[in-house]
Amino acid sequence: MNIYKDSDGMDRIAPEGRKGNIAIHKSINEELKERERKAREAKQAGGPEEADSEISLDSTERVKVLSPGQLVFKRFITNKLAIVGSLILIFMFVFAFIAPIFYPYSQTQIFYKYDNSLIDYAQAKERTEYTLLMLDKDAEVHYSVKNKLTANINQMKSASETEMTLISSDGNTYNLVKNADNIYSLYATAAEKYATKSGSVKYANYSTIGAVLTYEAGAEEIDGLADKIKEAISSKTLHFTIGSDEFTLVQDKKNYTVYRASEGFDYLVKEEGDAFEELVSENAEGGRFTYKNEEYTVTADSDGITVYHVTGQERIALLTTYVFDAYDPSFKISEEFEVAALMASIESGEFSADGNTYRVVSEDDETLIYNTSDETNPVAAFSTMVIRRYSGEDTLELAFKEKAREVIDEMAETGAKTGKFTWPIAQVDADGAYTYDENGELIKEDREVTINSKNDSYVMTVEQVVYLIDTFARPTSQHLAGTDGDGMDVLARMMYGGRVSLMVAFVVVILENVLGIIMGGIAGFFGGWVDNIIMRAVDIFYCIPSMPILIIMGAMFDAMKLKPYTRLVWMMVVLGVLGWAGVARLVRGQILSLREQEFMVAAEAIGLKNSKRIFRHLIPNVMPQLIVTATSGLGGVIITESTLSYLGLGVKHPLASWGTMINSVSTAEAMKSYTYIWIPVGLLICLTVVAFNFVGDGLRDAFDPKMKR
Amino acid sequence: MAKFIAKRLGLSVIIFFFVTFIIYILEYSLPTSYVEKTARELATRPGNTKSAQQWIDELNAQYGMDQGIIKGYGIWLSNTVRGNFGDSWSQTMPVTDLFNSCIWYSFVMGLISFVLEIFIAIPLGVVAARKQYSFTDYAVTVVSMVAISMPTFFVATVLKLIFSVKLGWFELVGMQGRYYTTLSTAGKFWDLANHLVLPILTLTIVGIGGLMRYTRTNMLEVLNADYVRTARAKGLPESKVISKHAFRNTLIPLVTILGGSLPGLFSGALITETLFGIRGIGYYAYQAMITGDIPFTMFYLAFISILTLLGNLISDILYAVVDPRVRVN
Repeated sequence: MNIYKDSDGMDRIAPEGRKGNIAIHKSINEELKERERKAREAKQAGGPEEADSEISLDSTERVKVLSPGQLVFKRFITNKLAIVGSLILIFMFVFAFIAPIFYPYSQTQIFYKYDNSLIDYAQAKERTEYTLLMLDKDAEVHYSVKNKLTANINQMKSASETEMTLISSDGNTYNLVKNADNIYSLYATAAEKYATKSGSVKYANYSTIGAVLTYEAGAEEIDGLADKIKEAISSKTLHFTIGSDEFTLVQDKKNYTVYRASEGFDYLVKEEGDAFEELVSENAEGGRFTYKNEEYTVTADSDGITVYHVTGQERIALLTTYVFDAYDPSFKISEEFEVAALMASIESGEFSADGNTYRVVSEDDETLIYNTSDETNPVAAFSTMVIRRYSGEDTLELAFKEKAREVIDEMAETGAKTGKFTWPIAQVDADGAYTYDENGELIKEDREVTINSKNDSYVMTVEQVVYLIDTFARPTSQHLAGTDGDGMDVLARMMYGGRVSLMVAFVVVILENVLGIIMGGIAGFFGGWVDNIIMRAVDIFYCIPSMPILIIMGAMFDAMKLKPYTRLVWMMVVLGVLGWAGVARLVRGQILSLREQEFMVAAEAIGLKNSKRIFRHLIPNVMPQLIVTATSGLGGVIITESTLSYLGLGVKHPLASWGTMINSVSTAEAMKSYTYIWIPVGLLICLTVVAFNFVGDGLRDAFDPKMKR
Repeated sequence: MAKFIAKRLGLSVIIFFFVTFIIYILEYSLPTSYVEKTARELATRPGNTKSAQQWIDELNAQYGMDQGIIKGYGIWLSNTVRGNFGDSWSQTMPVTDLFNSCIWYSFVMGLISFVLEIFIAIPLGVVAARKQYSFTDYAVTVVSMVAISMPTFFVATVLKLIFSVKLGWFELVGMQGRYYTTLSTAGKFWDLANHLVLPILTLTIVGIGGLMRYTRTNMLEVLNADYVRTARAKGLPESKVISKHAFRNTLIPLVTILGGSLPGLFSGALITETLFGIRGIGYYAYQAMITGDIPFTMFYLAFISILTLLGNLISDILYAVVDPRVRVN
């Protein structure tokens, strides 16, 4: 047998089979059984006279008297729906007012995430535009030539010519000479005007209407010209000769202009023979020929042909499509270096610049430049393929460029549209800056570079980690309800939205009840003309369409650009003012009926002050009704507030509101994709309103089971 | 009776006077930018001959906005009484034309959902009351409560998700399908009907709860009345008790409120029509309100006030007519 102390401090005998203190936790059932047994024992011990001490049938002890409050409470808790409603409301209050205290995120906190995003990393392009590298800094190339260099070179390429003479609009002659693929030299020539041959001369006009021939001023009349013209027109040759003169017709509708080809050369320096003239007419379209070991250039334009005698020429610039890349980023490539290297690649293969001697070695499609002191590591290279960051900056390392070039060549050979290679790519951090390790080296990670051929260029895309706003994230352990379109935590916004909704509901209902009790109380108590006026005001407010007014006010607040909080306050005031009429009517009706009852007559008889009679005796009796309507009214206010917010006329961003949250995903596409945002929020609204209605109904039944709904 | 109606009518006119006055004050105190914006828009229209300032003056004069509140209201009222409502700013057509073009869509939607509500809610309310505290009763109570508690926009969004997005039966918004113009008359009718299904469904769901609850409460009250007990006591079959004694008496308050809500069929549904893009009066009213279209807004609000007053009047009269126990005075 074990003896232990029970909670009353009395010695108890532990039942069999229990050991020591373990038995302290007795079930209630056992406890009750024990008490019953004790009572039985006491009765047996006390004798038969005690058996009659049971409560008699009419004893008041049989009736359990409850206070009115207890009665209401008892009726309330027997209503299942009311209990459900109360539990939902308790949950909502905890959710909206207490949970945010412990929840780590605020309603306006924006979340970011690292995400792999495909970015355009680099671009490769075959360079077709020729760069002009001046050999002589003081020399100038006239713009009319400079602008057309690339076009002229392309023309030379297509005609497989190696030389071309260019005449600038100011009359200077330039020579374009091909040195190697992609390298051309521009020579400025010193030349004198040697001979001219004017082109055709306007000779006459011929009109087919009436066959009128009119000669130009100063032109000699020729017999038979008109006949020849007619003949030429009818045979459609538009070309004929009379004697040694050649004529050409140019048609303009019914009119023909007759041109006569010019006769011969005007020599400016020295007369030359037919052999010279033949050479000129061979190159009549512009060109270059050698006659008696002297060079001549020919230019042709609408005025005729001009022949220049070349007296000397000087190489003033190099033209190239090659682009230079240094192996060591610190190695700066100057224009002089480029020129020297290009010259070397054409000629000797060696050059010196900045006091060093370099050697140029051609390799496949690129040319490497070695310092003669170190024949193993090239210092620079040049090729026609330009590889740059997509932004256009030349910050890529040469090794990357070479690798890319290699892959692109493969692609070009196989005709593939895409190519891939792996390369360590520098990574960026939250601020978009590059990350460095403790040695100050860039942190790089191997990434797959995808090359896509686009038209004539190649775009290299890399998956890079980017730091961006975490919008519309699906629910995860970090964000239990996901994030919204602004990257804010939906659960946090649900909580704060609930806080706003509940707060608005309570403030509005309190406001309309205070207004309604005062107005209704005055009307009901005093009656007469006061009652009449107030009730007409109530009629008017009953008649005012509240939703349109709220929408207009919302649009007005928008126009006034009120701050979200000011707006919220104003919205509550407007809602309260629009809602007091119902309360006033109810209070007045109640007071009118209460006023006639005995206790009010008694109150008047003992000479109580008006205020005391109203606030001590009337209002408390109206309270039950008011509490019921107010509870249901809370739900109504929440619906109104969320509807306004949904329309964008209520609570404004960044303040959270349930209506606004649903509105933010109300487009067809968002509605479909982000059901995890708007359905829970919508259910929260429904649940809260249902709960208020359940509780309101429960209270109504509890206060007065016969009360009309 | 005639005296009663005349008295109520007189009272209604006074209330209407004050309601429109309050609404006018509200419109009057809107930021001036609305009038100014409209004036500038009108001034830049092709074929316009007046300057923006002239338009501002004219628009202000039209609505008495430059006259002070009292006088301005007088101007508006005299225009309104003469049926001169001006031109809608946002739709650039006379307010009355706009009203004629849109009111019937609203009315049809309102009427259909009204009929649906009556035929669904009243039987359910009666059934719930007959079997108080049964499963049916709880189900009806909960359903009606949930229907009351759901905001229109949520119902509309859920319906759209289910029927438009998931099932693809109806279109999301609008009143006409893509090939509307190529359809025959019957085809056009069905196309329009198809577009009206979801809005009507929304209106019905949102409106059904209140009527259901009201029916149930009144039926319960009647079932507890002495005459029902008497009817049962004298051995009438339960069906007869319900249909003849109980239901007819339940109809008294029902007819009163239903009659009172008849004018409301014309008032349109601001939110539903806006959400579904139905070009009814509610849609245009919403557009007018948010764009500051004063003529149409004023017209709409005055119209709604008249409907409300008319509804109250009808329900008061019906109350007296339907229930002989109620004396008019």
